[in-house]
Amino acid sequence: MTGPRGDTAPPKAARATLRGRPSLYTDYAADQAIWNTPAKRYWTVALILAVIATPFLPFVTRSQQADLTLVFVLAIGGIGLNLLTGYAGQVSLGHAFFVGVGAFTASVLGGMPTQNVVGFELDLLIWLPAAGLVSMVLGLLVAPLAARVRGLYLAILTLGLVFIGEHLFKELRSISGGQGVGRRGPDPEILGFALFHPQEIFGLQLDRETPWYLFTFLLLVVMAILGRNLARSRMGRAFAAVRDRDIAAEIMGVPLLRTKVLAFGVSSFYAGVAGALLAVSFGQVTPENFGGLGGLLLSVEFLAIILIGGVATMSGSIIGATFVVLMPRLVQAFAPQIPLIGDGALLSVQQLEGILFGVLIVLFLILEPRGLFGLWLRIRNYWKAWPFSY
Amino acid sequence: MSAVMERPAPGADAAVRTIPSKIRDRADADPARVCMREKRFGIWQDITWLDYWEHVEVVGHALSDLGVEPGDRVAVHSENRPEWLFADVGTNAIRAITMGLYPTNPAAEVSYLLRDSGSRVLIAEDQEQVDKALEVEHDCPELEWIVYLEPRGVREYDHPKLINWETFLERGRAHRERHPDLIERRMADAEAGDVATLIYTSGTTGPPKGAMLTAGNIAFAVNVLVREGGIYSPPAGPDDVVLSYLPLCHVAERAATTWTNAEAGVTVHFAESIETVQPNLAEVQPTLFFAVPRIWEKMQASIFIKMNAASPMKKLVYRGGMALATRIGDDMVANGGNHTVKTRVFYALGYPFLFRALRDRIGLRKVRAASSGAAAIAPEVLKFFFGIGVPIYEIYGMTENSAIATVNKPGRVKLGTVGEPQPGCEVRLDEHTGEILTRHPGTFAGYWNKPDKTAETIDDDGWLHTGDVGEWVDGTHLKIVDRLKDIIITAGGKNISPSEIENSIKTSPFVKEAVVIGDGQPYLTALVGIEYESVGDWAQRRKLPYTTYRDLSEKEEVLKLVQDVIKDANERFARVENVRKFRMMPKELDHEDGELTATQKVKRASMHEMFAHLVDDMYGNTTEYAGGDMSEVHGSARPVTDDEDAEVA
Repeated sequence: MTGPRGDTAPPKAARATLRGRPSLYTDYAADQAIWNTPAKRYWTVALILAVIATPFLPFVTRSQQADLTLVFVLAIGGIGLNLLTGYAGQVSLGHAFFVGVGAFTASVLGGMPTQNVVGFELDLLIWLPAAGLVSMVLGLLVAPLAARVRGLYLAILTLGLVFIGEHLFKELRSISGGQGVGRRGPDPEILGFALFHPQEIFGLQLDRETPWYLFTFLLLVVMAILGRNLARSRMGRAFAAVRDRDIAAEIMGVPLLRTKVLAFGVSSFYAGVAGALLAVSFGQVTPENFGGLGGLLLSVEFLAIILIGGVATMSGSIIGATFVVLMPRLVQAFAPQIPLIGDGALLSVQQLEGILFGVLIVLFLILEPRGLFGLWLRIRNYWKAWPFSY
Repeated sequence: MSAVMERPAPGADAAVRTIPSKIRDRADADPARVCMREKRFGIWQDITWLDYWEHVEVVGHALSDLGVEPGDRVAVHSENRPEWLFADVGTNAIRAITMGLYPTNPAAEVSYLLRDSGSRVLIAEDQEQVDKALEVEHDCPELEWIVYLEPRGVREYDHPKLINWETFLERGRAHRERHPDLIERRMADAEAGDVATLIYTSGTTGPPKGAMLTAGNIAFAVNVLVREGGIYSPPAGPDDVVLSYLPLCHVAERAATTWTNAEAGVTVHFAESIETVQPNLAEVQPTLFFAVPRIWEKMQASIFIKMNAASPMKKLVYRGGMALATRIGDDMVANGGNHTVKTRVFYALGYPFLFRALRDRIGLRKVRAASSGAAAIAPEVLKFFFGIGVPIYEIYGMTENSAIATVNKPGRVKLGTVGEPQPGCEVRLDEHTGEILTRHPGTFAGYWNKPDKTAETIDDDGWLHTGDVGEWVDGTHLKIVDRLKDIIITAGGKNISPSEIENSIKTSPFVKEAVVIGDGQPYLTALVGIEYESVGDWAQRRKLPYTTYRDLSEKEEVLKLVQDVIKDANERFARVENVRKFRMMPKELDHEDGELTATQKVKRASMHEMFAHLVDDMYGNTTEYAGGDMSEVHGSARPVTDDEDAEVA
């Protein structure tokens, strides 16, 4: 319709009739908002505050803090893979390669030079984005090839990356330090402020791990919001269209090649950033971490994160990372109480871990393909439909 | 114009605040405020008072440009949408007369209505309505223009009378350039005696008649309904929200939407369609809600069906909550609709567990004034909604008295009655027939072009003969017995009101239609139509296979179900008023097939005609067709032939 309705901006008066009517949407922004209900807003704020407060709690040990840091880092990488595999439907076993590229880029730019390896000791503000960008460029190079195949073939193609990576990481000794040796990761410093060092802020004494913990968490929040915004944008809808049926998507005018290439690029950027952070957390990075069998395991771990956490959700990636990191800790804590487990017994703790991990993936695939987030959705929908069941 | 002169309404010369002038004043006072919302492309799009008034002006000019003069008729054939209001008020702004058609009106009725009203312009919504109009256009010599709102499918049509809504508005704007003061002049000339709208009665007997409502009638009605607590108390205001979903050509919805919006400034939301009323209600959460009994019954039935499918835990909570609700409903009803200490405690107990969520799901959480009208509602339904915290107040009125007669006021409710006379309204019963008579300034100006019918309806003292038989309860509250013409006199000479019995049978969620028969017969019988959805659900839960509506209707289990429903109903009446036999209707009644009026009321005459074989079957003591008496049931003796099945489909 033409006339005044189309010409003038929507009036902002009379919002009174919208109050208390959460599903009465008068614009698409409200319809698509990340925090579309007050409850979500409050819970997010509460969760963020709780995470920030955790290192200051007396009973939280430094190793637990380090575990949580690892959760944040893996979650960033998980979000990257989720954008590619969960949203755009392009399964990838080569995620570890891009993580490795990020880790070594960061180590070269931010690490110390030794006799064997090069290092430039640059600021984090340079090496962190650079790690993401280098990974992204490689991702964009691979993407046109990957965009030609799908399903099983794509999985095998991306698997190849891990083995190309193994070769590269081993041979480029001045970068990686070589097989079995590796090199030190970068020292995180922002404009002279050391992030992996005891600090005093506002009179608060921080442990060596705490500034790094807070920094990775901040980065996770930022990257998660960026990811979510991408997912609910036009590009995100194109991703979903390609995932659900690529031919239908193409007929609707979604350019297949461009969409897939973009998905690879963005995913690799996240992987590169996660790799750079991992290099700091690990302290020492070796080619075996990211190439060959180790790389394949890391790739599978990322897939496990999104499958257990929840495919095509940001929160799912974070929940999945938490699960993957903390589950082994729980097993270790409780293993002594379980008979037949332990050194010299029927199963070692590591074996139990591996078995549990595999069983859980199988169970989730069969029983709740939407992952842990899907379980949460079930609970939420149970109350949302109250007193009805649908 | 002649019709306007024929019968000036009381106080015809007095200046009157017309609906257009109210909208203009609101647009002046608060132009940027949202006055309605329409859902398009998944989003509720805001329309402000300024937009509204702009469109009214342009439509007024556009109609003038097409040659519409004061007193001419403009027909609107559309679902509820903002353009309906633009067209209606725009027509009134140039002192022309609006006539609304039901979207479900078939072509034959469209032809009759256009011809009878002599409409010069038809505003049709889409291809469906345009097609109907083009089909009968040669029968309607006075029809000069057909304006269509939705160009899809119509764009390719090549017909000299067709004009696109956009083009129509363009012409209006151009006309405004040339005659900038036309609307102001026309509105200043407006008189209380101007006929503003023709509202066609549903016509359960004979062809529909166009009731003329004047600007004065409307001003009176709006004042009573909106300002004096006639339906909304405390009075409606700009923070109130309504959902518009019943046909706007009916007086009730026009009052609840157009008139209330103009008078009180409530924000109107247009439902996407009648099928989406439930989800739309849950989104909009109106504060004022008027519904016909059918809608209330459907809401209740949908709660039952959904609760049947709920998980055991939820069922348990529901049963607990309903036990409370039943007591709350009973106590409140016994107490004139007032809360007692006990009901308040019970309600507070059930609120966090059930009532709050239940009301939220069905979209009635914010309702502060709910009402039912246009037909009789079963007391059980009212009690149910009282129990869950949505008191419904029954209102009684008809087109001919601008919907003003009686209402159940909060705190003074008597179940089974339609309440007390509205402020400024005289109500009495005819000494001989018991017919309800009303008198007030809202009494209509007469039937369009039917002075003889008008004379039958309004007597010399200005009393309107409603055609309903009523009786007083406790001297204050009015109870409707039946339509005067529907009263059955059995062979034994006993006067029986069929609708009371029918309503009692229809209380069951399994029965959609019941028609009681027995005029001049030794005993009463009934034709029953099942509620397809709930009986289908019932059958599924019993693992009872069925194919079509007719197949389901004629299952022995379903016949037993219906038999039980009738037995239940019979217990509430004297022996002579008991239904002895019943037969199943083989199809769902439909407006297009001429069995229902546009307002979903059963046309008795056509029932007797269409289902004569069923009636003969009952009184001839044969068992050819599926049905039964109060001791046994029997299926159809005649297998369904392909022919008949096709007919039913």
